[in-house]
Amino acid sequence: MSNETATIPAAAEEEGDGFFHRLVAAIGVDNLTLIFAIFALLFLIIFVSGWFGYEGGDKFMSWQNLMNSLATAIVIVGLLAIGETVVIIAGALDISVGSIASIGSVVAASFLVGAGTVGMLSFLPTGNVLFSVVMGMLAGVICGVVNGFIVTVLKVNPIIATLGTLAAFGGIAFLIAPEGKPVGVMTQPQFTWLAQGRFMTDLPIPPMGNTAWPGVPVLTVILLVVVLVAHFLMTYTDFGRAIYAIGGNDMAARLAGINLNRVRMLMYMFCGMVAGLAGVLLTARTTSGNPINGVGLELQAITAVFLGGAATTGGKGTVIGTFLAVILVGILNNGMNLLGFNTFVQRVALGMLLIAAVALSQWRQARAERVRTSIAAQG
Amino acid sequence: MSEEETTLPGTLKVRHISKAFPNVLALEDVSLDIRPGEILAFMGENGAGKSTLLKIINGDYRQDSGTISIDDKVLSFTNTRQAREAGIRVIYQEPEIVPGVDVPENIWIGELPKKYGVIDRKALNERAETRLKEYGFDSVLPINLMGDELSSAQRQIVEIMRALKRNVRVLALDEPTSSLTDEEVDRLFTLVKRLRDEGVAIIYVSHRINEIKRLCDRIAILRDGKLVTVQAAEDMTEADIVSAMVGRDLSDVFERKPSASDREVLRVEHLYSNWHNDVSFHINAGEVVGFSGLIGAGRSELAKVIFGEDPKIGGKIYLDGAELNVSRPDQAITKGIGFAPEDRKREGLILIRSVLENASLAILDQLTRFHVVRSKEERSVVGRYVEKLNVRTPSLDQEVGKLSGGNQQKVVLARWLAAKPKVLILDEPTRGIDVGAKAEIYGLIDEMANEGLGIMFISSEMPEILGLADRVYVMQNGRITGELSGSEATEEKILELAMVDDLTTFDAEGIPELEPENEDVENSEG
Repeated sequence: MSNETATIPAAAEEEGDGFFHRLVAAIGVDNLTLIFAIFALLFLIIFVSGWFGYEGGDKFMSWQNLMNSLATAIVIVGLLAIGETVVIIAGALDISVGSIASIGSVVAASFLVGAGTVGMLSFLPTGNVLFSVVMGMLAGVICGVVNGFIVTVLKVNPIIATLGTLAAFGGIAFLIAPEGKPVGVMTQPQFTWLAQGRFMTDLPIPPMGNTAWPGVPVLTVILLVVVLVAHFLMTYTDFGRAIYAIGGNDMAARLAGINLNRVRMLMYMFCGMVAGLAGVLLTARTTSGNPINGVGLELQAITAVFLGGAATTGGKGTVIGTFLAVILVGILNNGMNLLGFNTFVQRVALGMLLIAAVALSQWRQARAERVRTSIAAQG
Repeated sequence: MSEEETTLPGTLKVRHISKAFPNVLALEDVSLDIRPGEILAFMGENGAGKSTLLKIINGDYRQDSGTISIDDKVLSFTNTRQAREAGIRVIYQEPEIVPGVDVPENIWIGELPKKYGVIDRKALNERAETRLKEYGFDSVLPINLMGDELSSAQRQIVEIMRALKRNVRVLALDEPTSSLTDEEVDRLFTLVKRLRDEGVAIIYVSHRINEIKRLCDRIAILRDGKLVTVQAAEDMTEADIVSAMVGRDLSDVFERKPSASDREVLRVEHLYSNWHNDVSFHINAGEVVGFSGLIGAGRSELAKVIFGEDPKIGGKIYLDGAELNVSRPDQAITKGIGFAPEDRKREGLILIRSVLENASLAILDQLTRFHVVRSKEERSVVGRYVEKLNVRTPSLDQEVGKLSGGNQQKVVLARWLAAKPKVLILDEPTRGIDVGAKAEIYGLIDEMANEGLGIMFISSEMPEILGLADRVYVMQNGRITGELSGSEATEEKILELAMVDDLTTFDAEGIPELEPENEDVENSEG
């Protein structure tokens, strides 16, 4: 065991190539590209918009905008994208995350105020914040089990399977809500604290853009915690290894002893749980458990994952990459809002971004493939 | 090294070709002639530059310097189509086959005969039947098979047929026999010789020395991108060839002394499956048991049934005396079986992941605590096997797809050595691997067996089976047709058992006479 370093002398050579190389290797080239894109976008919004006479660009660099608008706006899509990252790295897809979030939203609200189909189960406690959060997440897990069952046991293609459950879960969210109407939670300040609460409000940070330091939103902290947990899961656990292996080559993974069905089931459960949590937080943010809360969010989530460097064929991608892409998309949306672009323009931009992200990912794969073939050709 | 100028018309002249890739000079000032009516062998270890040269001739790559010409006309290709129009055709190991269409359509793809604007099926099928019959492949390639039902051998034949429908002047075959049975090899050789006699210039790339000696007129040997020598085949002995290729002596490749104990580690009794009919055999601890047979005999499938990948219909399997009932590979691995599949790129490795991740995949449960991978332990265990197997990789974090074939196979073996199985199934472990790496793998198999592992060694290369196996089972059509001890196993006996019902007559050279009515058709890949 002591001979590890002696085994691969070249490794030390390659990695010990100065501080800069080590830094690049640690962050990853793809992630560096994203960080660069984020700065380019900031520059565009703050300075270029001013030069061209757009109003609103100057509002960007204010605590009010950065901490209250931007940092909370990315949370919901961010959570969905993190769950989706795991699924996409495994070479699959979950289109149903938006509908799962809707179910999570309605279920959490229903338990909290004792309304709707599930809230009417009168033997269950109401008014308990933790309980309703857990139940919202559990509802997401159950949705994940359904997705996992359809994909692993019924052997339906993941895209078709989750397209079906996108519709079905969306309908179920309406069926749970009383007469399909939203369930208000405004009377539950402990619950809405999840969206409105702030940590570290008394830090001595000077005001910016004429707005005082508002503290770090609870929402943002939750996203960061989930990002770290997912990153740990994908990088340091056997589950993460199995996900990368399945996405890279599922047949080889199975013949090396990975139980494909088990891993795929767990993966959909994880994605469902995170989507359920996103739904719970949507309820807190909008102060109502609304069955339309999650509609359309899957598109933004999937866009962020591909923008974050995941391969469409699976086996490649990182949680951190997705997180950076979520920030990038958030800044883009926020900037367009401030500069006065309407939502229709924003939808066009988002659609184009998804296609651009996938095109970029294909190009990267083609480049990697060229490298491989040129090496094979030397043989 | 340059050759004397030749005046034979139709000679493909390669002059001073060099080609560099980012980290390596793949070809350096290579000059040679490929003459019509001659079969020229390209030999060399992986990385010697054979494939690069073929790809330049085929228009896949452009040379950095040097020229290629026929009849003093300099050829400058930017793509494969131009090369084909010039009469040059390179047949690679894995030809492009359209999965959903049948054999005739695959052969005449792009130029299907039409009648009133629709495909003339009748004319097409007739044409295909005549062509295949003409070249003696009608019995091995039924025309109603779809692209995805074809075995590797059949795919090759389709590709060769495609080449022959045009006027071919230069035909290059890149390791055409690596997935062919001996019988198919003979048919191919008959065809190649016939084309030579018709005046085609033929390049034949192979690792198999005895084939080259049988078939080729001249041998060109490349090493590290340079042309080492070009000589008439009859002037070179096997030892000459090997030493020119590697610059070292490989005479001690096959020196396994049997180390089998009396303890049975694997016993299979009356096994039935979708492919198998009453298969019974056993493997002892410390024994290398060879499984020989033609492609499609059911050897790979047998491995997969034992490994829980394919379903068993009847019969019993015992591992170390205890009955083994597995329905998934992970269960088989837990019980102590390892399996290195035949197609390492498709079934063995996750090419886009690292050496480390690939090698530790089967033992992750031993390397984790509360599902968290103990990274230091993992690196030390994998590092130990990477060193033991002499895997040439810049680091453990290198993508496996970027390693050479031999090193990729060693990563697969490292995975199974680390798993410490009781029985290890090796399916064609040396396919497509250069001579040096082959020798290392043979040494490794010998060593593993000496340490008490029972090895099920599936191979289509006769010398491997004869040199390594302590005992040999021969399979045919999903049955075991014979068992031979290491001392009684000979090439003739094995062939006889592999083809008991299929083939009864041999001619003097061991080339089977073409009697299609006697032959079974091999549809599935073995």
